[in-house]
Amino acid sequence: MPAGAALSPVVTTAEPRLWPLRLATAAMGTRFELVLGGDDPERLRPVGEAAIEIIEDSHRRLSRFAPDSLVSHINRTGFARPVRLDGDMFDLFADALAVHHASDGAFDIAVAGGRGGTVLLDEGARTIRFTREDVAIDLGAIAKGHALDLAVRVLREHGVPFALLHGGTSSVAAIGAPPGMTGWRIALGRSAGARSIALRDAALSVSGPAGPRDRDGRALRPGHIVDPRTGESVPGAHLIAVTGPSARLADAWSTAITVLGRRPAALGPAWTTYRIEAD
Amino acid sequence: MLPDRREFLIQSAGALAAFALIPEPAAALSVPQGRALRVALIGAGRQGRAILAELQKIDAVEVAAVCDVLPGRVTAGIERAPGAEGFADHRALLDRRADIEAIIVATPTHLHRAIAEDAIAARRHVYCEAPLASTVADCRAIEAAAATAATVFQAGFHGRSNPLYRRTWSLMRAGSLRDIVSVSARHHQKTSWRFPASDRTLERAANWRLDPEVSIGLAGELGAQQFDAIHWLINAWPERIDGAGSIRLWDDGRTVPDTITARLHFPGGIVLDYGATLANSYGDAHEVIHGSNAAVRLAWSNGWLFKESDAPTEGWEVYATRQQFYSEEGIALVADATQLAAQGRLRESIALPHPSLYYALADFVRSCTEGATVACSATDGARATIVGILMNQAIVTGSAVDVPASG
Repeated sequence: MPAGAALSPVVTTAEPRLWPLRLATAAMGTRFELVLGGDDPERLRPVGEAAIEIIEDSHRRLSRFAPDSLVSHINRTGFARPVRLDGDMFDLFADALAVHHASDGAFDIAVAGGRGGTVLLDEGARTIRFTREDVAIDLGAIAKGHALDLAVRVLREHGVPFALLHGGTSSVAAIGAPPGMTGWRIALGRSAGARSIALRDAALSVSGPAGPRDRDGRALRPGHIVDPRTGESVPGAHLIAVTGPSARLADAWSTAITVLGRRPAALGPAWTTYRIEAD
Repeated sequence: MLPDRREFLIQSAGALAAFALIPEPAAALSVPQGRALRVALIGAGRQGRAILAELQKIDAVEVAAVCDVLPGRVTAGIERAPGAEGFADHRALLDRRADIEAIIVATPTHLHRAIAEDAIAARRHVYCEAPLASTVADCRAIEAAAATAATVFQAGFHGRSNPLYRRTWSLMRAGSLRDIVSVSARHHQKTSWRFPASDRTLERAANWRLDPEVSIGLAGELGAQQFDAIHWLINAWPERIDGAGSIRLWDDGRTVPDTITARLHFPGGIVLDYGATLANSYGDAHEVIHGSNAAVRLAWSNGWLFKESDAPTEGWEVYATRQQFYSEEGIALVADATQLAAQGRLRESIALPHPSLYYALADFVRSCTEGATVACSATDGARATIVGILMNQAIVTGSAVDVPASG
């Protein structure tokens, strides 16, 4: 799961009426927040709530720890028989497996049993199955980005002109830009001199081997990114940030690059990667 | 750690002991085994899509058609049911797809009656979402149509299918709660209940819940589901309802209250204290039944039993594992503990392995393909819905309403 970067969506332009709405929900063990812009607050709230609903629905479906989630259902039955998936879930698993292959196994949703190649998708039947009985999957490293991608789709369908969404500040998605700005300004890291980037119609994910930190830079938990090929924790205190067209792919790649220690050749030109050294 | 029997007895003396209700694993997984059933969904909004997600888990179901007046919803529905044919009009669906055996109705409540009647007339099995309808007359009409049907009609009330609620039903029939003292139920959310429409001309239709012409308010839309579970568990129906409602948060021009409170008076003086709000989410949806020997708290995916210290030991407590519940150290009840302990699975999570909706749909499929008894009949569903409608009436008018004896 990506570590928390300091996300600072601090925007100083005037016209407060253009961004009247902030919504939040607790999901996937963190806080999701949506900042929505537009000139019709009465219409904006139901649209924002529809986006919140899709994030909460993703939580219910993707949690490995809730017994009634789809992921738990797959973990229980995926070896016995193929499990049918809807289009969004199939695309999520297809992306996860694509990054698994393109990163030479540095990213892996299989967390138990044999790793790598034990999860199979059937595109024609749109199903998933496991090749070994002891396989379990955990989408924790990609679920937040997936939820943000679905939420962005809802907001775009309803014509929201600009918005910033994040899950726990480590997975971020931006629609448009605040008026008069080239993008949503986001600081990578917590120090005063932290590099900042402008995010516009793109997603950002931040991972780090050191795990999440508090405002003073102290580690909140030990690092928890493990190289699935060796089972060893990844060393270091830096952060990897990835920006590109999809939040769930950004999530997967930020984890993969943290494990690999370098930008892989397979990553296309639509993607930008950053390495931020510890303060 | 599984406490031994002596430890349990010592710790439970003098304290109210909480027991998590755990269904039997086989019942909790509940996979219909019969032949494949070809199903159509009518109404592909949020609830319709939730239904599709659960149907996907039942291999014995093929969703063959999705129908909605909004094209975007048909597309989103088919996304969740690959291979399904899209329809805008339910009559065209019934005419053209004679191969579809079962219809699931998940449209806005006030549109249920016409679709249910057409589907029954076309000799299809029908699962109709709760609440059944938005008027007493429509409830009666659906009930009458279902009574003459040769096909299955199931009202979409989940309590009777939910393994935790079934477990509670058995405990209550065995006398674990003894005499019922009182009942309370809540449904708390924080949401505006407004839905976005793709264009302004559709805004009123999309927000039928806030349209006083057709809405039965929180009492009907949220309460009825809970009232049916309570009616079934305590085997009683209210005689009189009083209540009040107001707008506590969403003061956006709406007239449908965002917060309600009501009392349902049952024979013998038992009162169900009900509250629902869209302004605060604490507590979510739950029901509490207080008996003179124990109280049960049900929350759809979880349930706990709180035993009085002076209640007799029934035996099953011995097989219980402890669980923290508020300040009480509770004990999780496992139905077939010996078998589970042998499999090393006693410590598995106590929540249900599927959402409550899944169990109602699985029961419907079993009724259609295996001839299983219908979990919730049109009459049962109408009764709970009418209680919701009358409660809404009591809240809107400010006057107590008598519930007709037949429901």
